[in-house]
Amino acid sequence: MILALETSCDDTCAAVVSTDGEIRSNVISSQGVHDRYGGVVPEIASRHHLELIGAVLDDALARAGASLEQDIELVAATRGPGLVAALLVGFATAKGLAAAHELPFAPVDHLHGHVAASFLAPRPFEPPFLSLIASGGHTLLARVGDRGPDFDAIAQTLDDAAGEAFDKGARLLGLGYPGGAALERLARDGDPLAFEFPTGERRAGLDFSFAGLKTALLYRVRELGEAEAERRRADLAASYQRAIVEALSIRVKRALLETGLGRLAIGGGVAANGPLRERLGTLEVELDVPPRELCTDNAAMIASAARYVDALSYPDYLDLDVYASGEQVLSAR
Amino acid sequence: MTVLAFDTATPATAVALCRSGEPPLEARDDPAPGRRPGHATRLLPLAVDLLRRAGIGWADLERIAVGTGPGTFTGLRVGIATARALARARGIPLTGVSTLHSLALGGLAAEAASQPFDAILAVLDARRREVFVAGWRPSALERGGEPFLSARALRPEALAEQVVELGLSPVLVGNGAVEFRSVLERSEALIPEGGSPLHQVSAIHHCRLVRALPGGDPADIHPEYLRLPDAEIARRSARP
Ligand SMILES: [Zn+2]
Repeated sequence: MILALETSCDDTCAAVVSTDGEIRSNVISSQGVHDRYGGVVPEIASRHHLELIGAVLDDALARAGASLEQDIELVAATRGPGLVAALLVGFATAKGLAAAHELPFAPVDHLHGHVAASFLAPRPFEPPFLSLIASGGHTLLARVGDRGPDFDAIAQTLDDAAGEAFDKGARLLGLGYPGGAALERLARDGDPLAFEFPTGERRAGLDFSFAGLKTALLYRVRELGEAEAERRRADLAASYQRAIVEALSIRVKRALLETGLGRLAIGGGVAANGPLRERLGTLEVELDVPPRELCTDNAAMIASAARYVDALSYPDYLDLDVYASGEQVLSAR
Repeated sequence: MTVLAFDTATPATAVALCRSGEPPLEARDDPAPGRRPGHATRLLPLAVDLLRRAGIGWADLERIAVGTGPGTFTGLRVGIATARALARARGIPLTGVSTLHSLALGGLAAEAASQPFDAILAVLDARRREVFVAGWRPSALERGGEPFLSARALRPEALAEQVVELGLSPVLVGNGAVEFRSVLERSEALIPEGGSPLHQVSAIHHCRLVRALPGGDPADIHPEYLRLPDAEIARRSARP
């Protein structure tokens, strides 16, 4: 069995997954302390990771009925991209656990993890497919040819990530942080066609851009004035959400056409969004929508990916460091 | 008792392996000025080097000891996360050692110095023109005793004033003492020359303190940050 840790942002995660992709446990501790700062603060996230990781790890092993000594054959952890100080807590912990029993170790790219959520049992989704990964940290389209880490990133965001667009919109509408889920709830009572927001339809290419959308919402709220904007909050939320969903699906459609792929998988926190799932369901392709807890950050997806990277045997991994940016993936373009 | 001790509170990565009846082994990485600390990449390789040199394996360890700071936040977390993982995986106790205490204990070797002293202050550069400091009477140090000046973050000027107010003739050791020598020497403090090993955190002194300190559940060992995160300071000062 594989033990994996994931601490790239503000969720402290540990999971145990069998080598054939069955989830034995998948423990996620969401810190829920960042709303008062209006965003994830790396130092605060890292302090919490260190306080939580031990209990999360113990819980993952206990729920799997697994012992480190007897059952774990491979230890894995997210190496990047993410917040360096946060990544280091999980990475140092995982390296220490592996070293103490001279186990092999698999460093996993976080984005490969999101893609590999689709390879988990009971219904693994087979490549080739197009993958949309959208969260607060990344927005990416990838052509996935096999289960390994060398997928081909074909589009990224030029400015904000899709999840950031949700969070920034939510803040403009007076909702807390993180705002994605709150905005989705508010939008249920609104008219998605009440206001027109830019979707980037006329901009060529596959890359995403959300900065203009956020500015458009800001201007619209100002134009309406405080009282009217408050009265029409639900309409604003629904229209804004629709624009994000359209911006994503327009480029997904283009990428499907360009690559000739007929299959699509989605992942990342934004992939938990109901209207996005519905919208992508209307595209005439085979669609893999993992359960919500496998879309948002988790360690089961890291364990899944670990099965397809070249694990390093002891002691070759002891000097590995984490990395902050996604260059290693995007350089594959 | 066979103890693996390490400290990552300063830019150095300091590791020691101590066994009863054997001379302690030390391995360390001191990055050149301006270079990034090697905590994440050097700590475990240095530990493995020491195990090899001693001809023993992970299973032979009976205790892990780790410096709990104060020091650089990320460095502390790498050290403590690693220490907890090793202790948990091997099912052995973990001891947290104050980095300042260990540094001050090493400072006792200044006894060979020219002038007498009545206190040892461990002074680490805390950046932003502050130091982390704690002070011990020499007699209390060996016994693992409590500091008379408990750990705190101070401006070097304020530390110099305190030394004068307390009427001390102390020895000051640590990279903070070297960095702020000109300010701190305004008091009666003796600061060994810059290149002296007395200013280095050495995990060998952690081993010496382990004898006087209990070992326990890895989950009970926490970093001593001594400072709130910047975002929290900003949030608190923004409130009316
Ligand atoms: Zn993610």
